[in-house]
Amino acid sequence: MTFQFSIKSDISKKIWSGFERELNHKLKPLPESERDDIKMEILSHLYESASNDKADSEENRIINAIDRLGEPDLYLTPLISDILQAQNVAKGHPKAIAKSLLKTTQQSILHLALTAIFGFGYVISIIIFIMGIMHIFNPNVGVWLNDSGGLLSLSFSFQPNAVQWMPEKFSFIAISLSSLSYWLLSKLLYALLLSSKK
Amino acid sequence: MLPDQIIDRWLPQFRKGLLEFIILLKLKQDMSYGYEIASEIKNLTSIEVAEGTLYPLLNRLKRDGLVTTEWKTEDVGTPRKYYQITEAGIETLDKMKLIWTNTHSSVLKMVMQS
Repeated sequence: MTFQFSIKSDISKKIWSGFERELNHKLKPLPESERDDIKMEILSHLYESASNDKADSEENRIINAIDRLGEPDLYLTPLISDILQAQNVAKGHPKAIAKSLLKTTQQSILHLALTAIFGFGYVISIIIFIMGIMHIFNPNVGVWLNDSGGLLSLSFSFQPNAVQWMPEKFSFIAISLSSLSYWLLSKLLYALLLSSKK
Repeated sequence: MLPDQIIDRWLPQFRKGLLEFIILLKLKQDMSYGYEIASEIKNLTSIEVAEGTLYPLLNRLKRDGLVTTEWKTEDVGTPRKYYQITEAGIETLDKMKLIWTNTHSSVLKMVMQS
């Protein structure tokens, strides 16, 4: 569909065709019929909006109308992406279907990974905190290293052929570190939740 | 986090859902076109919205089968793309209205008590 909008002054014509050029450029990824449809709808809106504007000059009315529409990227990007995605999926385009499936599962996978990471972090923090408390009453609770000093393990009982790591300071270190990591995990989780809602 | 930052985060989500509801309400009254819908939203509500952002919403409603479109040029001479609500749109709107009525009265009660 084509239509010649009635613009009088030369400056207004320049502003109008500049905006039209921008639309043409941004709508390029779309098939011609969709491109013309959207362009005509936006231009029709612009024309009517400018016609009802109270500014003295035609160019100011057009500028005001463009301003009220907002940044073209703000409305054209989601529009184009929605149309292309829907069209490609409808055509049975494997890449589009894969992209669509990926998009829907991406969030679930991310949530699953974050749940596992945070869940593991919280569990370890809580276990170490409990061990720190238990160590006060049972000195065998702590971190044990094998004879060569390499392998590190958490244990609630005495380990033969192993050396306990810093038994005199374990409670202090365990309680402080586990509290700190619990606090850090909570802050990180809160920040992630906030950013995901934006 | 400052109250203004919280509002900046909360408002787009609140607005998006509300705009779809308002558009369907408007189209239930009569068929309409982008500029008219945008003007009505501006006049009837205090929602500040870049007019262009209505088009992705209208396109989504069309894709979901809640509205249909038709170009018309009579009356004014300039082409207008009219949106008309479908049966599925009316059904969806009825459900939205029910949710809105229930939620609105509870929220209003809480607002009055706070």
